[in-house]
Amino acid sequence: MIFQLAWRNIWRNRTRSLVVVVAILLGIWAAMFMSGFASGMARSYIQNAIESKVAHIQVHHPKFVEEGSTIHYLPQPEALLAFAKSQAAVEGATLRTIVTGMIGSSRSNRGTEVWGISSEDESAVSTFDDDIVAGNFFTDERKNQIVLGQKLADNLQVKLRSKVVLTFQDLEGIITAGAFRVAGIYESGNAEVDESLVLVQQTDLLGLLTPTQEAGGQDTFPSTISHELAVLLDGPRQIDTIGQILQNAFPDLLVENYRELAPDLRLYETQIQNISLIYLIIILLALVFGIINTMLMAVLERIRELGMLMAVGMNKMRVFSMIVFETLLLTLLGVPVGVFLGYLTVSYFGRVGIDLSAFSAAMQEYGLSEMLHLELDPIVYTQIIIGVTITAILASLYPAWKAIRLRPVEAIRTL
Amino acid sequence: MSIIKTTQITKVYNPDKVPVRALRGVDLSIEQGEFTAIVGPSGSGKTTLLNIIGGLDRPSSGDVSIAGQDISQLTDNELIDFRKDNIGFVFQSYNLIPVLTALENVEFVMLLQKRPLAERRARAEELLEAVGLKDKLHKRPSELSGGQQQRVAVARALASKPAFVLADEPTANLDSSSTAQLLDIMAELNQKEGITFIFSTHDQRVIDRAQRVVTLVDGHIDHDQDRRTQPQ
Ligand SMILES: Nc1ncnc2c1ncn2[C@@H]1O[C@H](COP(=O)(O)OP(=O)(O)OP(=O)(O)O)[C@@H](O)[C@H]1O
Ligand SMILES: [Mg+2]
Repeated sequence: MIFQLAWRNIWRNRTRSLVVVVAILLGIWAAMFMSGFASGMARSYIQNAIESKVAHIQVHHPKFVEEGSTIHYLPQPEALLAFAKSQAAVEGATLRTIVTGMIGSSRSNRGTEVWGISSEDESAVSTFDDDIVAGNFFTDERKNQIVLGQKLADNLQVKLRSKVVLTFQDLEGIITAGAFRVAGIYESGNAEVDESLVLVQQTDLLGLLTPTQEAGGQDTFPSTISHELAVLLDGPRQIDTIGQILQNAFPDLLVENYRELAPDLRLYETQIQNISLIYLIIILLALVFGIINTMLMAVLERIRELGMLMAVGMNKMRVFSMIVFETLLLTLLGVPVGVFLGYLTVSYFGRVGIDLSAFSAAMQEYGLSEMLHLELDPIVYTQIIIGVTITAILASLYPAWKAIRLRPVEAIRTL
Repeated sequence: MSIIKTTQITKVYNPDKVPVRALRGVDLSIEQGEFTAIVGPSGSGKTTLLNIIGGLDRPSSGDVSIAGQDISQLTDNELIDFRKDNIGFVFQSYNLIPVLTALENVEFVMLLQKRPLAERRARAEELLEAVGLKDKLHKRPSELSGGQQQRVAVARALASKPAFVLADEPTANLDSSSTAQLLDIMAELNQKEGITFIFSTHDQRVIDRAQRVVTLVDGHIDHDQDRRTQPQ
């Protein structure tokens, strides 16, 4: 009957009970929305990085990773590419020739990373082709074309069709330079990339990188020099499997997934859960004070009645449990509704996305896309349900303690 | 043996600040089956005395023994259990749990005593019938008149089969016909079932119905009249 009593008691002051239920419900909803937002943002950052540049898996010559020297190219790039493409889970694979050097215009110079790519393969792996805001992504067959980021173009004060010069060391360590024409300008959504990465056709780059070929006939270097194989999968699930398959087939090469390649991405991934927890804790703190306040009011309003109950033989344990029960009931009314609303919101905006283009400048600065898709780790639901329930119980302890501290004589005397 | 026996009890409120000596050495014995009124001017200590013999408050000095047990030894929680099993209370108001029906209110104490449902239900119905509320079993307190509420309170007080029933000004908020009705019920329960009632009152018509009248003045017994042995 204590349960029944508690249940009826919470309906005595409907408005107040509803306020508590709504507070719990909104708290849960807000926690879920904010967590979903933060997770979505982190996911978007990771997704962006994977799709635009890192890909899921990369394969290098181990020493290329260690020393960064262009001389450590992949031994059998074509075989590697073909093998990767033959895997079912692989959506796209591309070979990249990578050099670092300087890019100069008539106005300015900048350090840069240059990728020599084959545009068809590259389009299947990264999103530079989609990110073109001016010009094109190597669609006309002219030689020595270059695609660079909007930010770098601004820094160099170049436009489409402007001439730029790339300077770097060739495979023998000799400084070499080549003139390129700006064919396309991209905005990848990541300012750092836009500022420092340029793309050229692999054949054009190879011409500069292996001068001996031009000098004629020497077979010191193979005809194709590639430093990196980047592989995009149809989803992150198969990363470890495909990585293992590649590693087994090419035991001398270094196969890495995006977590290993970009530790910041891994950090981001692991932080997603912590971010959710922090939001949850903030909201639970607010909830604690709301519940304490309301339940205290509910106790103080009933001083006489509680005194009477204790006078006629309801012991402290029972009075205490009744107050805790009342709080718990309010919570149990609020939690499912809140979780359900939160779930609807997160899954709706997970599907449709939230248009953040109004903040696109800031978003790009952080490598985020304009459409934010909420997402929530299922564990967050458990955390919320358990967290809110425990919080409600904890918050009810003080009012319940107040209730049993009442002395019946004094409580009744307030008649 | 007396069911209530107080020996030289005193009660001082606010002993540190402005001491109020509410009781100044009260010796009182109450026997099984009494129908006793505690009377006296306002502030004479009636409520204080009833609270102490009801185990709701503790005397500043002196002993209280109820049903042979020295209750000064009990902890607060033990006192609650003791009250539950030994004492029935009827207060001036706020007797009933507003969210429970008359029947549930009467059942409530038996529930605290962990009596089986069938017994609870049967006894609650029987008691409510005895106080003339057979047709109000499922009404909540707010749907009952003041007199009806006090009758439910009497039924509730009896439900636990207490050694005695304490009632501090049970009729203070009632009109005269409700007062008479309540007194009739109490007197009948006293005569037929031998239930011990101790009640305080200011009301002369209530005093007239008592068998024994204990008059308090300034915290001590000024007068103790037993009408069974020495009719007025
Ligand atoms: N909690 C308290 N603190 C201080 N003084 C108190 C307290 N309770 C009662 N008193 C004082 O003790 C004295 C006795 O009070 P008590 O309530 O027992 O009188 P009473 O006979 O019941 O009066 P009434 O007929 O007005 O109900 C009074 O002087 C009262 O002011
Ligand atoms: Mg009084």
